[in-house]
Amino acid sequence: MYRSRNKPKKEGENEVKGPNSALTQFLREEGISAENIKQKWHQRQSKNHEDSINEKKDKAVDDNLTAQIPQQLEEEQVEDVEIGSGTKTGRTDISYDARMKLVPVDSDEEEYETSRLSDTLVSLTPTKNPELLAKKRQNSARIIQKRRKKRKRAANLLDRRVNRVSSLQSLCITQISENISKWQEQSDESSKQVYNRLRDVLGGVSTANLNNLAKALSKNRALNDHTLQLFLKTDLTELTFNDCSKISFDGYKTLAIFSPHLTSLSLQMCGQLNNESLLYIAEKLPNLKSINLDGPFLINEGTWKTFFAIMKDRLEEFHISNTHRFTDQSLSNLLINCSSTLVSLGLSRLDSVSNYALLPQYLLNNGFHTLCIEYPFNEEDVNDEIIINLLGQVGRTLRKLVLNGCLDLTDSMVVNGLTAFIPEKCQLEVLSLEESDQITTDSLVYFFNKVKLNNLKECSFRRCLQLGDMAIINLLFNGARDSLRSLSLNSLKELTTNAFVTLKCPNLTYIDLGFVRCVDDSVIELLVDQNPNLTVIDVFGDNLVTERAITRPGLELIGRQSDSI
Amino acid sequence: MSQDPITLVSKDDKEYEISRSAAMVSPTLKAMIEGSFRESKGRIELKQFDSHILKKVVEYLNYNFQYSSINEDDDDIPEFEIPTDMSLELLLAADYLNI
Repeated sequence: MYRSRNKPKKEGENEVKGPNSALTQFLREEGISAENIKQKWHQRQSKNHEDSINEKKDKAVDDNLTAQIPQQLEEEQVEDVEIGSGTKTGRTDISYDARMKLVPVDSDEEEYETSRLSDTLVSLTPTKNPELLAKKRQNSARIIQKRRKKRKRAANLLDRRVNRVSSLQSLCITQISENISKWQEQSDESSKQVYNRLRDVLGGVSTANLNNLAKALSKNRALNDHTLQLFLKTDLTELTFNDCSKISFDGYKTLAIFSPHLTSLSLQMCGQLNNESLLYIAEKLPNLKSINLDGPFLINEGTWKTFFAIMKDRLEEFHISNTHRFTDQSLSNLLINCSSTLVSLGLSRLDSVSNYALLPQYLLNNGFHTLCIEYPFNEEDVNDEIIINLLGQVGRTLRKLVLNGCLDLTDSMVVNGLTAFIPEKCQLEVLSLEESDQITTDSLVYFFNKVKLNNLKECSFRRCLQLGDMAIINLLFNGARDSLRSLSLNSLKELTTNAFVTLKCPNLTYIDLGFVRCVDDSVIELLVDQNPNLTVIDVFGDNLVTERAITRPGLELIGRQSDSI
Repeated sequence: MSQDPITLVSKDDKEYEISRSAAMVSPTLKAMIEGSFRESKGRIELKQFDSHILKKVVEYLNYNFQYSSINEDDDDIPEFEIPTDMSLELLLAADYLNI
């Protein structure tokens, strides 16, 4: 999610929003900033200079500066409004104090802001010339407005937001999530009331909007033990939190108590989830069938063992990522206890798991539909043999197969695994083989010819560097054309323009063509013509796509070099 | 189909008039207008919403109708302002009207 760095700064330690690093957040909360340090240094320096420079000279220089600035604004019409640019003209004889007065505090952050800018200009301008002043103000207002538009456009582009007019629901949710911490922190009566009212109101809001609110809160890093209370609806069955980093172990317990009907729970970045809370969740949520955890690194091997024992015969979906404490032993506990009910399994970035060979022996459920094995610690841990065996067990019923970052996979997996075990009329909806650089066109052509992918909605061959035109052409000729919604061909450097002639997908909405060098204006025009529902095309790194590319309203090209902001 | 404006009625019986095409922005209202019930005659009672909420809703429907068809390169879409204290009730209304 793109977030402007030039947002007006608010006060208070909890106002840090968006994806800042933990270090940045710490420095802000502690009030440490490079600007402050610089300021202090300048103050010390200026004291030394002060005596040597006389007042008259200062005034003269100030007048000169004022005359220069509007000109510069007009010439550049971009970025550098900082008065610091005045020094570039070689006037080193201005006193530090005189100049420091002109530089707004924390100018780097605030350089675009209206109020600051106009303040600065006013302080620079002698009051004797009101006409000039008004003109200058007009000028700067115009420039600022221009910049605002550009920034808004950039933000929209990076958020892949195609609809210019946001829905009223999303506008409201943005408003609420922006104010939520304020309401809850402020002690005055009205804020308290609003917060309590919010809890009532959310009872009447649809689950979709509740999830949207959860998303918006996560995005603003505002999800904590207090805001968590908004989601404690007793009849809620599914819940997804995308950023749980501020929810304490007590918070998870409260959640388990007040939402006893939860069947599906997804907690991303749940670093504070500890042994006690996980077991609490398992015990207090008798209907829980699906759990998706990202970053639960406090949970140790013993707890995993107990957890799977509690969840025995009811855990249907288990996805875990980013923890080094989930070991081979934990995996085997999972499989021994829950394999009979398990229909969806995801293992991603688990640095202590190497024995993936266990999986084929255990995954026996007839309805198994989702398999995601991503980024194993050692690439040789997930080899052709293991995946072939796995597909032999579950290939028949698979609806989603994700093998991203399994670098050891080769054509053998495609020919002897995918082709051999996935039935001719298959249910596969999602297929992702990202970064499998050993897979070639030939094997995929063979696969696509044998298996009809009539239900395929999402497909990603990102960075499968050896794939050529025929792979894509065959994918589309064999059934996937009508169902495909999203396709990623990122970095397929072997592709030529021929691959796109057959790309006629009535339902395709998104295509990633980043770093596919052959893509040029004519390819874009072709895609626009042939795919009526396409709304976003990613063209990062495609330097042949120029501003002359013809698109249609409602379709965005993202990452075009000529779109300078 | 007639092109008469639609009248929306709030809790306190205040009436707000809106063009038929702007009302069609909301799938809920669209279904009501095109249905075979009394609402299709052009008077829709939304008694669960206060008048100030309904006023804002009408404002949004007009705003959406006006700008969603606007040309791609035209960057002049103003922000739709929502007073903070109204955001909750408005969310409920937006949720109901699916806008």
